[in-house]
Amino acid sequence: MSTNFLLSKETPYCPGCGHQTATLSLANVLEKLNYDPLDVIVVSDIGCCGLIDPTLACHTVHGLHGRATALAAGISLAIEDKKKKVIAIQGDGGATIGIAHLMEAARRNINLTLIILNNMIYGMTGGQLSGLSHNKFRSEKLQFDENEEPFDITELSTKAGASYASRIIGKGDFSDKLAEAIKHDGFSVVEVLEVCPSYGVKKYSEIENYGYTEKKFITRREPYYLKRKIKKTLFDESEIVFPEFSSNIENKLKIIIAGSAGEGVQTSADLLAKASLYAGLHVTKKGDYPITVGSGFSIAEVILSKFPINFTGIHKPDVLIITSLDGLNMVRDKIGADMLVIIDKSISALVEKERIEFDFRLTAGKKGATIGAIAFWLIQSKIFSIDALIKAAGESKHGKKVIDSILKIRNSFSKELIY
Amino acid sequence: MSEVKNSFMIIDGSKLIIESLVRSGVEAYVSYPITPANWLNEYATQRFPYSTFAPDEITVLQWASGLSAAGIITATSTSFPGFALMLETVNMAFMMELPLIIVLAQRMGPSTGSATVGAQGDLMLLNGCISGGYNIPVFSISNLIDCWNITSKAVEAAVKLRTPVVLLTSKEMIMTTRSLDTSALPKLEAAELELYKGNGRYLSYEAGENLAPPFLPVTNNQFQVRINSSTHDAAGTIRKASKDALANTLRLHKKIQNRISEFLFYEMDEQPDNKKEILIVTYDITSEAVRDAAAELRSSGVSVSALYVKTILPVHKKIIEIIERYRFVLFAEENATGLLAKIIYGERLNERVKRINKIGLMITPQEIIKEAKECQQISC
Repeated sequence: MSTNFLLSKETPYCPGCGHQTATLSLANVLEKLNYDPLDVIVVSDIGCCGLIDPTLACHTVHGLHGRATALAAGISLAIEDKKKKVIAIQGDGGATIGIAHLMEAARRNINLTLIILNNMIYGMTGGQLSGLSHNKFRSEKLQFDENEEPFDITELSTKAGASYASRIIGKGDFSDKLAEAIKHDGFSVVEVLEVCPSYGVKKYSEIENYGYTEKKFITRREPYYLKRKIKKTLFDESEIVFPEFSSNIENKLKIIIAGSAGEGVQTSADLLAKASLYAGLHVTKKGDYPITVGSGFSIAEVILSKFPINFTGIHKPDVLIITSLDGLNMVRDKIGADMLVIIDKSISALVEKERIEFDFRLTAGKKGATIGAIAFWLIQSKIFSIDALIKAAGESKHGKKVIDSILKIRNSFSKELIY
Repeated sequence: MSEVKNSFMIIDGSKLIIESLVRSGVEAYVSYPITPANWLNEYATQRFPYSTFAPDEITVLQWASGLSAAGIITATSTSFPGFALMLETVNMAFMMELPLIIVLAQRMGPSTGSATVGAQGDLMLLNGCISGGYNIPVFSISNLIDCWNITSKAVEAAVKLRTPVVLLTSKEMIMTTRSLDTSALPKLEAAELELYKGNGRYLSYEAGENLAPPFLPVTNNQFQVRINSSTHDAAGTIRKASKDALANTLRLHKKIQNRISEFLFYEMDEQPDNKKEILIVTYDITSEAVRDAAAELRSSGVSVSALYVKTILPVHKKIIEIIERYRFVLFAEENATGLLAKIIYGERLNERVKRINKIGLMITPQEIIKEAKECQQISC
């Protein structure tokens, strides 16, 4: 019997329980492989298999039903020291409820060993059948349909990417059969078929009669490590804006810009926000668009103020800029008195209220229409210099194209048009 | 601070929260995509020393707990549907005493509701999220500066109290870009776990007077660590309902209740005339509407005070004390039934307690002004 890993000869299992053999085999293999107990972390599940914790001298973590593999994976992600060993222990019930965690650990080949103690039964709750119970096995309480084939967890894990998977019939000390899995770098899964004298299969010969054989799959694959990387601050000093322009607004100004997704509405509103900051104004901007992102409407709300802004909602806009039918359909019910409506000429006839129309789409193209309409409004209203918008645009990803759109609009409407 | 000077930039709450988390000592971030936490996840990937995606929210919090057990302070973000999946693991981390920071970005429910519509609908769930009537600390963000400061305090609370904490926010707070004077952001200190420094055997859950046991990672080579989600004694050994195990469980309650005062944050904007007539109580995104409403009410001669609650759960006696001083209390929150009001008053709401509730759109300053003026008329 191992002395380093087992704290006592006493174990909490029923006489003849397969978990007893498994506990002794695990302790033996860790000792044979010369592990320091404080280099080993055993993460156990809920169920009889989880009774292993108090028997062990290594670090132990006792978690939730079905989650031991995920919890052990989290610990493994934190470890770069290859001398450390993370072992998860689950029963067949835990492996069934937590099968997605198992698949993910296999897919990434996370460096840990999962031992599934498959006694084909939920022992603690009185003997229900799990997804790993053999279809010939009959529980006293529940019966499987013969057509309900159990998962073959070794094959499933291998298909999912585990670099090691084996099945052991857990009769006698099987520590040597565990050794290869424990030493393995990457995700190794061992299914141990066990007896359960209280509710399950009573004899190992019965397990063999079901047709179970020991097997092993090894795939050469690099294990997954979550490496620590120092990354840059999100605060980019170049984003600090030094006001260079002035603004003549006295009161808070609320602007809604309505257009189509994929036509630069949000980017244009972001540029208006930055230009406002260049003009020494406080600003807020938010966007609204369908979850499809690339189709339908795209609405942006911008608030400008000489003073800090608290509430960022717009109940009734002061300025409504509409550049497409998608946009118009979304804001039609907001059109009212005491507001400036600037709208693309192609849809202007659909609005009865007073508005200013211009050929934004024809002049600057559909992608330039919104920034063009913003430029149009700025030039007309003299809120602040159009140069602030040009400066903000110049710093954007597609600066040249955006500035082109602004200039096209600026150059193509007559100053006589102004109010 | 009215004039825009040279240290302004356009920024959003998500960026401030993520940068604050990292500067406050959080090293890892595990995420699963969900609206409206999208920007948080995006920034987290760019910023955290350890960052990874998990295949679902249960795995997110299990991995986060594993990282935390190994001494790497970990955060995540989610919204109601994801938080619902995390709930069992939140209980696990509470029982295991693992520091975790969950940024809960609220959106309109019930169920999946509307992913891109903000709300303040999860407070009642948070108040009852630990089986047995315990609280995890919940902090609420009332403006951009809080995205920085309160986030940092939430990390400190998680680390010092060894507990999962929730940082409560909502869509409009973290997905609106705004101008901000970045020079107004104070320097942040990184929180550090208090490590066990004794020489004898380490008992993972033996706590001193401060009720939070000193920590050792499961990767240490000095002492055995036992971490346990089931009822356990001071050694971390599973026990059914033994006296010492029950004492350990009750310590978890005392730890939060007794020490939350160290992390009590609120903003009291007292009416200048000190009349104690009308108090508006709020948190999260509605705070911004209340700020405008209070200013406008005062300029039109209505005397109001406003209380912005930032340490929101457990409800601190100081908050109750302030509320009790006033003749009328208006609870403004963006949900159907008034969750903070219900947590404080239960179903016994009386005529001095008014609720301003709304779903689907932010509560406006005008709606708050209207209610406050009605209170003033009764008052006169």
